[in-house]
Amino acid sequence: MARDPLFVMNYMVDLEMLAEDVLADKQQVVDLDKKRNSNREALTALRKKQVAPPYCMDKAWLNFGGMFIKVKKDDAITMLTKDQEELDKEIKTVQRGLHEKVNKLRDAQGQKDLSSFDLNPLTPKELSRVRH
Amino acid sequence: MAAASTVNKVQEVREVTRLERIGAHSHVRGLGLNDDLEPRQVSQGMVGQLAARRAAGVILEMIKEGKIAGRALLIAGQPGTGKTAIAMGMSQAMSRDAPFQAMAGSEIFSLEMSKTEALTQAFRKAIGVRIKEETEMIEGEVVEVSVERPATGTGAKIGKLTLKTTDMETIFDLGQKMIEQITKEKIQAGDIITIDKATGKISKLGRSFTRARDYDATDSQTRFVQCPEGELQKRKEVVHTVTIHEIDVINSRTQGFLALFSGDTGEIKSEVREQINSKVAEWREEGKAEIIPGVLFIDEVHMLDIECFSFLNRLLESDMAPVLIMATNRGITRIRGTNYQSPHGIPIDLLDRLLIIATTPYSEKETKQILQIRCEEEDVEMEDQALAVLTRIGMETSLRYAIQLITASNLVSRKRKGTEVSVEDIKKVYSLFIDESRSTTFLKEYQEEFMFNEVKAASGDAVAMET
Repeated sequence: MARDPLFVMNYMVDLEMLAEDVLADKQQVVDLDKKRNSNREALTALRKKQVAPPYCMDKAWLNFGGMFIKVKKDDAITMLTKDQEELDKEIKTVQRGLHEKVNKLRDAQGQKDLSSFDLNPLTPKELSRVRH
Repeated sequence: MAAASTVNKVQEVREVTRLERIGAHSHVRGLGLNDDLEPRQVSQGMVGQLAARRAAGVILEMIKEGKIAGRALLIAGQPGTGKTAIAMGMSQAMSRDAPFQAMAGSEIFSLEMSKTEALTQAFRKAIGVRIKEETEMIEGEVVEVSVERPATGTGAKIGKLTLKTTDMETIFDLGQKMIEQITKEKIQAGDIITIDKATGKISKLGRSFTRARDYDATDSQTRFVQCPEGELQKRKEVVHTVTIHEIDVINSRTQGFLALFSGDTGEIKSEVREQINSKVAEWREEGKAEIIPGVLFIDEVHMLDIECFSFLNRLLESDMAPVLIMATNRGITRIRGTNYQSPHGIPIDLLDRLLIIATTPYSEKETKQILQIRCEEEDVEMEDQALAVLTRIGMETSLRYAIQLITASNLVSRKRKGTEVSVEDIKKVYSLFIDESRSTTFLKEYQEEFMFNEVKAASGDAVAMET
């Protein structure tokens, strides 16, 4: 049974779009994690007082994109910690969204849905009572 | 399909690899149905028996949709008509979805456990619970690790660890415990490690491929792993399926895991079971667990006695009950534990709840096909004439006897350095090993000479054993 070539092409286009969506999300998680890690390095550096300038110990230079801004250390730490929390939340949302997208992709390819990954996770204590 | 094929596939891990030996039903790989649930004549190791297979396929679909929990099924038919084979086919077909627990009726009777305990355990081994485990971990290749002692001599060590993946790289400042672990595990540049964020444990996965040529001689235990991709801080989700019986065992004593290994579980208190039931129900409410009723297959169910049957009735009423599939080859027999007769040796009130599938004896063509499949499974080459003779033997005596002759005749043919089993080999083995009907005739003739002979020769009232 020969398929209509137009139909096949449309199907492939849809499939590729879904796959691109999933890959884009994964790339987004990678980028967010990069940002998260560089924030973490900055926080550590600030906390350990390793940053210049020597003549003014309670201020630090922060690099935002192409600009350097002199900020009070405490403010810098608060800003960075808040940024970290935002990033954590963002990464979690994207990862949760990935579940649905991967399932849609599997559906389009005729594979069964990945069930049970939408269960809430068990705490380690509960886990010890179920598995060894 | 470029993008679609690069999206990572989800791993399915079979936790324990089981070595399957060639058993009586190892050639059965499934029920052999097509997408419309119609059985093919010869498929997946099953031959013929179309009606029974179609019925089994319908039941299988109902099990997958979860519409049949707590119901029971009976497969009844003469010996050698494929009852256990159908059950094997069902178990292969649903191995991934739900737990399949098989047992024989006589296994209930044991000195260590009471009958009700054995039945309860068997039931609970057939109910699965799906749970998800989530761990955040940092996985990457070590670029550089440095541990320094402060110049003053005393004071804490300073440690820095640079980790990278194919997409990113970052530096970690290490605390004392981590520094201790790193020195203990002797982590060096080129190792691939994972750090569990919750417990802080470091584990080495292996060495990176790019560093394989660093040294001319390496330990045979060194594993080379690819550098991880993607983000450094990954979230790993694993879905486990455990049976409720395993949960019972783990919670019934402090060293629960030892009991599973030693095989002897003993009796589990009912308070423990009730606690577990309520806990699992709670988790189900919170969306943390899924209950998967599976299948419990009891072969030779006529060996159960009236107490077991009453208990079975009660067990089937529970809301988490699995599907019960029973098989028997008895006709109208006495129910064990009573003096009453009943079809298949099962009380009528239980029979009422059952769906019954009947199996019929095989035709000559089907017998030939089955023997051919068994020859392939046991790796035996047979001439066509020899196969025809064997089919005749199978039709006249029994299918199982013919299957037994396959390996025996193969050995005889190898002894005479032949490549294929010939008619002479079959004849030889036929004369060496007698089948059931010849054995009975032989007994009738020489019964006086055997020990403990209880047959009344005059009335000719032979006590024949039902097989």
